[in-house]
Amino acid sequence: MSVSMRVEPDLDFIKYLKSAGGDSVKKCYQCATCSVVCPLSADGKPFPRKEMIWAQWGLKDRLIADPDVLLCHQCGDCTANCPRGAKPGDVLGAIRAYAYTCYGFPQGLAKMCSSGKGLPMMILIPVVLIGVLFALANGGMHLPSVEEFKEVGFGHFFGHWDFFWLTKNVFFIDLIFVPAFLFAAFASFKGAKAMWDKMSESLGGNREFRPSVVQFVVEFLAPAVVETLQHKRFNQCGTNQNRVKGHLPLVLAFLALLFVTGYSFLSKDVVSLFVGEELRAYLHGPIPMANPVKLLANIGAIALIIGVGILWANRSQAEEEQGTTATFYDWFLIGEIMAVGITGLGAELIRLLGIPSLAYFLYFLHLVSIFMLFLYMPYTKFAHLVYRTVAMAFERYRQSAFVSPAVGGK
Amino acid sequence: MTDERSTPVAGGVLVVGGGISGLTAALEAAEVGKDVFIIEKNPYLGGRVAQLNQYFPKLCPPSCGLEINFKRLKNNRRIRMYTLTEVKSVSGSAGNYQVTLETKPRFVNSNCTACGACAEACPEERANAFNLGMDKTKAIYKSHDMAFPMRYVIDADACTKCGKCIEACAYQAIEMDMAAKTFTLDVASIVWATGWNPYDATKMTNLKYGSSNAIITNMMMERLAAPGGPTDGKILRPGDNKEPASFAFVQCAGSRDENHLEYCSFICCMATLKQITYIREQYPEAPVTVFYIDLRSPGKYEKFREKLMADPKVTFIKGKVADIIAEADGGVTLVAENAVTGDKVRVKADLAVLATGMEPTAKSLGAQFGLSMDKSGFIIADEATAMFSAGCAKKAADVVTSTQNSTAAALKAIQASR
Repeated sequence: MSVSMRVEPDLDFIKYLKSAGGDSVKKCYQCATCSVVCPLSADGKPFPRKEMIWAQWGLKDRLIADPDVLLCHQCGDCTANCPRGAKPGDVLGAIRAYAYTCYGFPQGLAKMCSSGKGLPMMILIPVVLIGVLFALANGGMHLPSVEEFKEVGFGHFFGHWDFFWLTKNVFFIDLIFVPAFLFAAFASFKGAKAMWDKMSESLGGNREFRPSVVQFVVEFLAPAVVETLQHKRFNQCGTNQNRVKGHLPLVLAFLALLFVTGYSFLSKDVVSLFVGEELRAYLHGPIPMANPVKLLANIGAIALIIGVGILWANRSQAEEEQGTTATFYDWFLIGEIMAVGITGLGAELIRLLGIPSLAYFLYFLHLVSIFMLFLYMPYTKFAHLVYRTVAMAFERYRQSAFVSPAVGGK
Repeated sequence: MTDERSTPVAGGVLVVGGGISGLTAALEAAEVGKDVFIIEKNPYLGGRVAQLNQYFPKLCPPSCGLEINFKRLKNNRRIRMYTLTEVKSVSGSAGNYQVTLETKPRFVNSNCTACGACAEACPEERANAFNLGMDKTKAIYKSHDMAFPMRYVIDADACTKCGKCIEACAYQAIEMDMAAKTFTLDVASIVWATGWNPYDATKMTNLKYGSSNAIITNMMMERLAAPGGPTDGKILRPGDNKEPASFAFVQCAGSRDENHLEYCSFICCMATLKQITYIREQYPEAPVTVFYIDLRSPGKYEKFREKLMADPKVTFIKGKVADIIAEADGGVTLVAENAVTGDKVRVKADLAVLATGMEPTAKSLGAQFGLSMDKSGFIIADEATAMFSAGCAKKAADVVTSTQNSTAAALKAIQASR
């Protein structure tokens, strides 16, 4: 080959990979077995062989602009067949973790969420925030009596006032979670936009036409979302096929709980304002067990715990049998979702048993874990829900006429 | 002269294995005056080399080299040779080993002239192990055309003892009541020249050996090309005997792979290049594709590689084959990623040769004799115990290296036997 390239390896990037579970990257000798055994890899420019050598060379700019890194679902077939134990699946996982940190906004927060060192701070922020608001709003750690607790549940967690249009509890819950959610949504958008731009840039060339927002959604994003929900690619995996059994219930549980949250918001905060006294009291209390929505919530909570439990078990098994490296990146999300499920279901059970002090404590932990799930979403493994979806949309874009025109292209 | 059990002077050498390495070690030790026993589990000497069509890089047949060694062996009264014999146990210590051996019955005595009348009369057949099961012999058979000793042998598993061969034999050479014999030797040192086996191709599940007749191993290719092979030297596809119009070679089939053989088997690249010359002789125009990780042609072999790489009909693709698909027409499609262009390639071939590596024979039996081995099963020579290794029992090697380190092992065995 006559084209020469000056390789300027980024040593810090290689060091980061080694710390984030990609320590085996140096073992790769480029036999390319991985690219063939990968069930998700395309025929033209397949992965992960090329990513392995880019990683060895420290070419981080290429890697974070490479949609293939995100199209990888860590099936583990490459790792199982790798003749050198270079574990391409783990290396790509580490590159994804790096990319999320790289695209994270603001950078300080993203860096904090990138390693176990930041974990105490990640927990401390919501503990202090929610703890202080609880202490202030609730008037000095007031615990309800057993009777009061039975009637209102966690409805007076942040205390109670007599302002008709907005209860004190809802005010504080919204005060904490709406900004956190909006912030995470904004940060995700910024990160995803930055990634899309980098990926487009890496395609090279000048494109005369850009998709409109509607075209983008209809032609690229929506099919990617549908494909994700169907777990099409996951199902092609060989070695770690079992993860579908955990991931699918987990995704469905999230959707169910999203619906329940929406229902709860509408019924308590909107509908209740316009109905009679009796119905309002009903709507403001805990949703009765017989209500189908409550049933859905409980099923969702159990599916969540079971789903993440399966992923937990699979991960442990992979670490034991395939020598997959244990990383903060992977375990944080598993632990985090498990915490959300256990504290949520636990708080509900203890409420039904009628022990206010313990129930309040669990509820507090539940709020803390949900806050962490929201706020740190764009920087932790949870970010895959945004970045991978966008990458799958980009894959469609890359194959579309916008990039490779049918006439006169290439 | 040596007697049945021990040598006249203390300090005999036992050589385990009668391939090119064992022969070399035994002859070198005997020719400087040591008393040597050489044992071989097959009915013939010559080992893997005898199965080759040609050596690389000079492309001469294995009779060149083996014959002269057989001649040296015949003329040397210090060597006692036992075929069909294996080690059962080893006791004692350096300088004073008692080795118990077992000789399986050949059922044919030294009256045999290898006239072949017995085989003509024999009604039973067996898979021909020498040709890697690609054809059959009678239950009484000659191992191969240049078997040494040149004597027939009966496969006890295939024989029904019908007695037709006894009637056919004009020399009273067949003894159906021959029994296994266990005996003990006193020796001072032992040279293990136990050689290698081709790595079991069925273990690479993604290469799907066995799913198609078009997938063969490199040792099968040697037999196909050899004059005494199942096709009398014509390279034909097993099963349908089609003349292949295209060929592909899969390098590192099991070698350099921690899931199989973690080391480089050293010979497979050169064996493939050599086998391309077999193909060229018979199919001057057939396209050949070689899939490799790195082509390893060390030292002077570089020239051989250069010559073969100049062939315009041979394509070398850097990328390991990770999937082989059997096709309806009897051929196969090999799938790899070309690591230079970065695209997946699918190559259709009528015959795909898996360049399988060497698995040391000692891997499975070394532990029971207290040998020190590395984790791959290669025997580590130990002067303190006077146990030495030679040839491919020591490391994956070509014939030249094997004879060199066998001579070295002989020297060490002599020193340990003084």
